[in-house]
Amino acid sequence: MISISSLSKTYGTEPVVNVSSLSIRKGESFGLVGNNGAGKTTLFRMILDLIRPTEGSVTIEGKSVQGNDEWKHYVGSYLDEGFLIPYLTPDEYFKFVGKLHSYSDADLSQFLQKFEELFNGEITGKKKHIGDLSKGNLKKVGIAAAFMGNPQVVILDEPFENLDPTSQIRLKRLLQLERETRAITYLISSHDLNHVTEICGRIVILEKGKVVKDMEGGDLLAQLEEYFKA
Amino acid sequence: MIATLLSHGWKKFKRSVAFEKELATNIFLGLIAIMVFGYAIALGFFLEKIITNGLNQPLNGLLFYYFGFEFMLRYFMQSTPALDVQPYLHLPISRRYLVHYMLIKSLLHLLNFLALVLFAPFAFTAVATQAGASAGVWLLSIYLISLCLHYLVLIFKKGLDDTIIGFLVLTGVLGVFALADYYNWFNVSKISAAGFQFILSNPLAIVGLLALLLAIYYFNFTYFLRNMYSEELTPNKSSKDSASQNLAFLQSFGMLGEWANLEVKLILRNKRTRSLLMLSAFFLFYGLIFYTNKTYTEGLPGFLLFVAIFITGIFMINYGQFLFSWQSNHFDFTLTRPVSLAQVVESKYWLLCGITVICFVLSIPYVYFGWHILFTHLAAALFNMGVNVFVIMNLAMWNPKKIDLTKSSMMNHQGVGAAQWVMGIPVLLSPYLFYLPFSIAGYPTRGVVAVGLVGIIGLVFRTKLLSLTTKRLQERRYAIAAGFRKD
Repeated sequence: MISISSLSKTYGTEPVVNVSSLSIRKGESFGLVGNNGAGKTTLFRMILDLIRPTEGSVTIEGKSVQGNDEWKHYVGSYLDEGFLIPYLTPDEYFKFVGKLHSYSDADLSQFLQKFEELFNGEITGKKKHIGDLSKGNLKKVGIAAAFMGNPQVVILDEPFENLDPTSQIRLKRLLQLERETRAITYLISSHDLNHVTEICGRIVILEKGKVVKDMEGGDLLAQLEEYFKA
Repeated sequence: MIATLLSHGWKKFKRSVAFEKELATNIFLGLIAIMVFGYAIALGFFLEKIITNGLNQPLNGLLFYYFGFEFMLRYFMQSTPALDVQPYLHLPISRRYLVHYMLIKSLLHLLNFLALVLFAPFAFTAVATQAGASAGVWLLSIYLISLCLHYLVLIFKKGLDDTIIGFLVLTGVLGVFALADYYNWFNVSKISAAGFQFILSNPLAIVGLLALLLAIYYFNFTYFLRNMYSEELTPNKSSKDSASQNLAFLQSFGMLGEWANLEVKLILRNKRTRSLLMLSAFFLFYGLIFYTNKTYTEGLPGFLLFVAIFITGIFMINYGQFLFSWQSNHFDFTLTRPVSLAQVVESKYWLLCGITVICFVLSIPYVYFGWHILFTHLAAALFNMGVNVFVIMNLAMWNPKKIDLTKSSMMNHQGVGAAQWVMGIPVLLSPYLFYLPFSIAGYPTRGVVAVGLVGIIGLVFRTKLLSLTTKRLQERRYAIAAGFRKD
C-alpha cells in the first residue's frame, strides 16, 4: 500500500528523518512510537506530501505522492489544526469536506451518526467556529473529517492526546469498529503505549529519525515498556 | 467549487475576530477606503487640468512614475495569499486548481482597481477627444500593466519580502531613477511617453501586453505549483545569526540591559516589528517632502516643529503605541516571575529614548537645508525623550490588546484600540502648548528653545516620572493581563 525508500529530511545539517526502507501492507494497523523530536510528525507530513523530502520518496499504491493528487481521494488524515478551517463551524466544515467526496446531505448525516457518541453533543449543531473549540474538540472534528469518503488509509497523529478518558475509549472502539466493517489501513502515532498497542498489530519505534525497532506479534506492550523503561 | 472556496474567503473575512470585535475600527477603515477612492476618482477628473496647468508634461510621460509608485504601494500593502490554501492541501482537490484559485483570488484587491479609477475619467475625456476609440486601448494597456505589476509583486515578495535585500533593491531602483532624472542620464518620462504613444497609434500592440501578463501569470503558476508546501510558502522563520543579535554592550547594564536585550530580539525576530522598523526608516525621508519646499521652510516655521517631532519620534510613536501588546503572549510570564516592574518600565524607557537618539543622529544630514532645521530636530528629540515618551507609555497601558507578531504591520490594525486612535493628538500637539505663546509674541526661535527646555526638564525628573508610570502599571497589571488572554 505505502512504501518508503531512502527517505530523509534534513533541516540545516540536522537530519530529522532518515528511513532507508519501510513498507506498510494493505489492511495493516501501523503504530508509530517514539520520544519527542523522533520525527514522527515529519514522517507523516512527508507521506502526505506536506513537506518536500530532502531525499527519497514515498509511494502509495505504486505512485509517488509528490506533486500527485490522486491518493488524496483514498487517504484520510488529521495531523494538526492546520488541517482545519478555523473560521467555519464544524457543520460547515463537514459539509465542505463531504462535498469533496460527493456526499449528499443524507450521506453526510448518516456518516456523522457514527461519530455522535464521540462528539458527545458538543460539535454538531452548534454555532461555535472551529477556531474557538477546545483542543479535545478540535481533535474530534479533525478525526471525523479524516474518515470522510471511506478512505482506505487513515493517518492520525496522536489521536488520543487532549481527549478526555471517556472520549479516548470511545475513539478506540470507533477505530476498531471501522476496521471490522471494511478493509482499512491505519497509520497512528501515539505516546500512549496502551492505546497504540490495543489498536495496532505492528509497531515501529522511531528514534532520532531512524527506525530502531519494527515489531509484529507477541506481547507488544511488554516489549515497548521494556524499550522505554530507561 | 470555486464558489465554495470564495464563500470560505468571505467567511474568513466576516468571521475573523478582528471584524467582529473591532467593528468600529473596521467601519472607520472602510470609510477611509471609500474616501481615498473618492479622492482618486476626483483626481481622475481633474487630472487633465493638473497636468496641463501644473506639471506641463504629457500624462504618458508621467505614467512610468505612476507605475513606480504603484509598485511601492503594492509592495507594502499586498500580501502573498499562499496561506489561504493550507487547510485544503490534504483534501482531494487538485493542486493546479488551488494554485489557480489562489492566483485569481489575489486579484480581489483594492489596488487592482486603483489604476482604472484614476485613469478612466481621463481616458474618456482627454484621450478620447484626441485619439477616439483608441482611448479604450490606452486605458486597457494601463490596466494590463497594473495587473502585471500585481503578479510581479507576488513573486518578488515571495522571494524577498521582509528581507534587507528586498528593502535595498526597492530603494536602490527608486534611487537610480531619481538620480537618472536629476542628472539627465536618460529620460524616463520620454521613454514612457513614447511607449504609450506607440500603443495609441498601434492598438494591436495591446496583444503584446496581454501576452506579457499571461507569461507572468504562468511563471507565478508554475512557481507556486512547484512550491506548494506550507513550510516553503510561509516566510522562512529561520533563526540564522541569532547570536549576532545579542547586543553585548547592553549586558553591562545588569537586569535592565537584559530586558532591553530581550526587547531588541523581539523587534528583530518578528515580522510585524521588523516591518515597522523598515517603515520607520522610510519615514526618515519624510522631511524631504517639506524641507525641499520653501513654502514650508519659510512660510510656516511652526509646521517644521511638527515634522521634527514626527521624524525624531516616528519609531517611538509606532512602537510605543503597542508597548505592552508586543509582549502580550508572554505577559503572564512577566507577572509570574520574580521580576521588578520598575525595571521593565525603565528598560522600555531607555529603549525608546535610545531609538529616538538614533533617529536624531540619522536626521542630522537635514542640516543641508539649514541649521535651524537641525536645531528644531534637537528640540523635538529632547521633547520626545522628556515628555512624549511618558505620554506614550501611559497611554499604551489603556486597554492594550493582543498582537500576533508574525504578521506584517502593513495595513494591519490588530491591537489598535481607542488609545491608539487618540495617542497622536497629545504627542504631536503638546509641543505647541509651549511653542505657540512665544511664536504668537513674535519669537518663534524662543518657542523652539522652550520646547527643548521642557524636554530637558522631563529628562531631569525622569526618575519621578518613571516611578509614577511603574505605579500605574502595578495597578493596571491585572486588567492588562486579562485583556491579553482574550483573543
